[in-house]
Amino acid sequence: MEFTFLFSQFMSGLTYGLMLFLVASGLSLIFGVMNILNFAHATLWLIGAYICFTFWSLMEAHQFALWVSIPLAALATAATGWVCEVVLIKRIYKRELHEQLLITYAMALIFGDLIKIVWGPTDRLIVRPSIIQKPLFLFGAPIDSYFIFVILIGVAVAVGLWWFLKYTKYGHIVKAAVYSREMVGALGIPIPKIYTWVFTLGIFIAGLAGGVQSAIGSVTLGMDMNIIIQAFCVVVIGGFGSLMGTLVGSLIVGEVFSFAILYWPDGAMVLIFVITAMILIVKPWGLFGTPLRA
Amino acid sequence: MDKKYIFIKRFWLPVALFFIAIILPFVVSEFWVHVFNEILILGLFAAAFNLVFGYMGQLSFGQAAYYGIGAYTTGLLMVKLQWPLFACLPVSMLTAGIGALILGYFCVKLRGIYFAILTMAFGQLVFFIIFQWYSFTGGDNGLQGINPPEWLFKAIPYYYFSLAVVTIGMIILYFITESPFGYTLRAIRDNTERTEFIGINVQRYMLINFVISGMFCGLAGALWGPFNRSVAPDLCGWQHSGHPVFMAVMGGPHHFLGPMIGSVIFTFLNAFVTGFTEYWPLVSGLVIIVVVLVMPGGVFGIIKEKGYFSPRDVGDVKNE
Amino acid sequence: MKIKVLLSMVLALSIMFSLSGNAPAAEPYNLGVALGFTGTGTLYSKDQMEGIQVAVDEINKEGGFLKKHPIKVFQQDTQTKPDVGVRTVKDLILRDKVRAVINDYSSAVAVAVKPICREYKTLHIAAISNSENITKINYSPYTFQVVPNSYMQAKAASYAVAQMAKTKGWKEYVTLSSDYEWGRSTQEEVVKDLKKVAPFLSVKKELWPKLGETQFASFVTSIMSMKPDFVYACLASKDNVTFTEQAKPYGFFDKIPYVGSMQSVTELITEAKTMPRGLVAISRAPFFAHLDVPMMAEFVKNYRAKYNGKYPSDWAVMGYDAVYALKQGIEKAGSIDTEKVKDAMKGLTVNLTRGKLQFRPIDNQLRCSSYVGVVKDDPKYPFPILAELIEIKAADSERPEAEIIAARQAEKK
Repeated sequence: MEFTFLFSQFMSGLTYGLMLFLVASGLSLIFGVMNILNFAHATLWLIGAYICFTFWSLMEAHQFALWVSIPLAALATAATGWVCEVVLIKRIYKRELHEQLLITYAMALIFGDLIKIVWGPTDRLIVRPSIIQKPLFLFGAPIDSYFIFVILIGVAVAVGLWWFLKYTKYGHIVKAAVYSREMVGALGIPIPKIYTWVFTLGIFIAGLAGGVQSAIGSVTLGMDMNIIIQAFCVVVIGGFGSLMGTLVGSLIVGEVFSFAILYWPDGAMVLIFVITAMILIVKPWGLFGTPLRA
Repeated sequence: MDKKYIFIKRFWLPVALFFIAIILPFVVSEFWVHVFNEILILGLFAAAFNLVFGYMGQLSFGQAAYYGIGAYTTGLLMVKLQWPLFACLPVSMLTAGIGALILGYFCVKLRGIYFAILTMAFGQLVFFIIFQWYSFTGGDNGLQGINPPEWLFKAIPYYYFSLAVVTIGMIILYFITESPFGYTLRAIRDNTERTEFIGINVQRYMLINFVISGMFCGLAGALWGPFNRSVAPDLCGWQHSGHPVFMAVMGGPHHFLGPMIGSVIFTFLNAFVTGFTEYWPLVSGLVIIVVVLVMPGGVFGIIKEKGYFSPRDVGDVKNE
Repeated sequence: MKIKVLLSMVLALSIMFSLSGNAPAAEPYNLGVALGFTGTGTLYSKDQMEGIQVAVDEINKEGGFLKKHPIKVFQQDTQTKPDVGVRTVKDLILRDKVRAVINDYSSAVAVAVKPICREYKTLHIAAISNSENITKINYSPYTFQVVPNSYMQAKAASYAVAQMAKTKGWKEYVTLSSDYEWGRSTQEEVVKDLKKVAPFLSVKKELWPKLGETQFASFVTSIMSMKPDFVYACLASKDNVTFTEQAKPYGFFDKIPYVGSMQSVTELITEAKTMPRGLVAISRAPFFAHLDVPMMAEFVKNYRAKYNGKYPSDWAVMGYDAVYALKQGIEKAGSIDTEKVKDAMKGLTVNLTRGKLQFRPIDNQLRCSSYVGVVKDDPKYPFPILAELIEIKAADSERPEAEIIAARQAEKK
């Protein structure tokens, strides 16, 4: 009984953590490579969720609708991200920190309103395919069967990114760019092009996460502002630019939140910020990060 | 150069602004008096923020926490203990200063992006504490019934009261920035390492400055509660921390009056735009992008470039 | 050069001011609407605005209030934030010269706006925000509430819960409420009231998800492992939708009776396909409860004609009622003068879509009913409705006047 209880709490923390990981990994990647903290990341994530809903509603009658919509949403969001990069982000590579922050913050504001203009204020709900409408039981604990899919996607993205960074040529370039832009540039590799694709990849993951989120509860305005700060916390705890760190950070935040609700519900959010602040004080570059260039 | 001439050159703008501010209530309608009151309070907030940003060179994304502490101190004292407003202002500065001292102690160990994020994390911490502590702060509902004394109750008297407090606050801030302490801050901003080499305890200077900034943010917050008759936790949220950043960047962080001018533009625009559309975030987002891309030095940057007159720049130490 | 720049600035400023000042003579009736078109209240506010618009169109077709004061609507966004709300209301009062403000979904905004309206002697109609504190304490003669307040709703809910607990032998329960004014005050009232009417019930745990929570999974699993006899929920708006959606895949609703959540027509429509049937839900002003009142039938017809066959939600109904309550106040006063209207509305009995209802003299709270029912499909509508509907009248659910007087005295000390 007691075990079942803790186990189901652990599982919900795990899925929450992996959802955060999906949002934060792109954020961390973009920051690690481009040194730009993207305030608009969660807003693009939300756009992904809305786009997923739109695709889904076009194919509503079919059981496969959701499974097709999620990758389509990821691609469409990535395209949006690419446009942002080329039009706006490109102009601020060399700018100061506060200017980069303000530009991405402005993007978040603008996209937030554009979502409202395009999709309106109504909550958007996806009816799940019947296969994931019933719970699964693991060790006697009920688990949302969709979460198995969420966990799979989370793991797939983590492994995929890891493989990309470790075993592909482009991955090596990206990793090198985290350490020294100048060196990579000196080797004749076109840095701006790399940046554009890294940004697009980050937003692709955000769009994917948004698509996955759309079948968990409703898609509503303002969800982005709730999650962006938590994603920042994840990145801080794990360390900027570190994939492993982002994963660990997400799981910490997810589990802390999940268990705090049991024992100290009022303090759940406070606790997350306390942990973040403590990590920043003790180890500013996070658990797995390396001290970055200033 | 003639001393008198320097004086005029240096102070004609603030003095002119002050006199305009005095005349305003006779010229504009009551709504705009409220807006100008907001401009003053937020302008002081932005100027206090700029102590950390423009002078010390660190971006704080959590100054609203101290603004909020000030606002809640005044609110709680006035509602629960019926303290007079005048007594609340210094106490609010004190509590905000203490908050800034405790949290700033950790912040000043960091630089750049880490400084920005830690200030933001602390800001959110304060926000959630105020938001969750129902029995004391009233939670999301905030505090109501923060009424200024009878003779300050109407819009115009309270405007003059704000004007007086803000002017005194700005003068004190000006003296701080023009003192040796202020110049040390500029030195820290321009070259931290070199400043350390000449035997200055950089962290201590940064901490003192952070506390001063927090105190004046708290003073601005203390003016807000009685002005609005209520306070709510939104005042401490990270979105509210963004406002002084826009204002400073818009007006020009390298001039003492930049943040105040930014407050004029931003608040005015807000009041004007929200009058006919609910898409204020969209408009403000576009404005921010234009400001950052087209006029990186803010209004004062442009003015300086065009050579209309040359405001004293807080940017270069060597010219002083 | 310098002078030219200054002059043009002065010119620009004065143009801006002149654009905004100078309201025309008192002929039209300027009606302010300050709602949360952004933020958590967006969904309800849009519906409410539509209800208001239908009422305004109908009245203007007859020439306006008293058949000679056409209504001019000024609409502003409070962003569901108290400080923004205060500013927008000042703007409406001072710049647009409105005589009445219909205000927000968020009670926090309503309580912040109340003193401002009082200061400027402007009518303040809280059409959908239902915290009791809007009318109970800090009484303002200018503030009227046309929605069943949190106390009335809590009373209605605990009445229904007590009935069920007795028949089903329930003992322990968990509360789940949004961590803000409405969630807090409703939860508090229900727990207090249940102690009185059903003393055999005990609270096992109180859970407080924050307003706008997006991940409820941890709450769902922790409730399920506590195995309470039922859950009493005070979640509103999108939080409610998110919770039901996230709890369903766990089989939550098959295991644990979920009582007391507010399911307005908005939820019933947006979740038509997904909402678990059999929930015991509370509602504020469902149109299907009063189709026998001609005014309601007429409203539903006009509303649907205007908005492509969409059915009016509770919020639209209350927005519509707010305007008609004002209309009848003005008619009784025989003038649009705010002071006279305010006095005329005190204790006035008005004909609304929900029947003949009175503003209670002590607190200007409309003596309207609350509704509890079971979510069930109905062949007449493309969405489920609340069946087995119980209407709990104000007489059985409002707070006794003595308690209000006591609360006000305690406040003064």
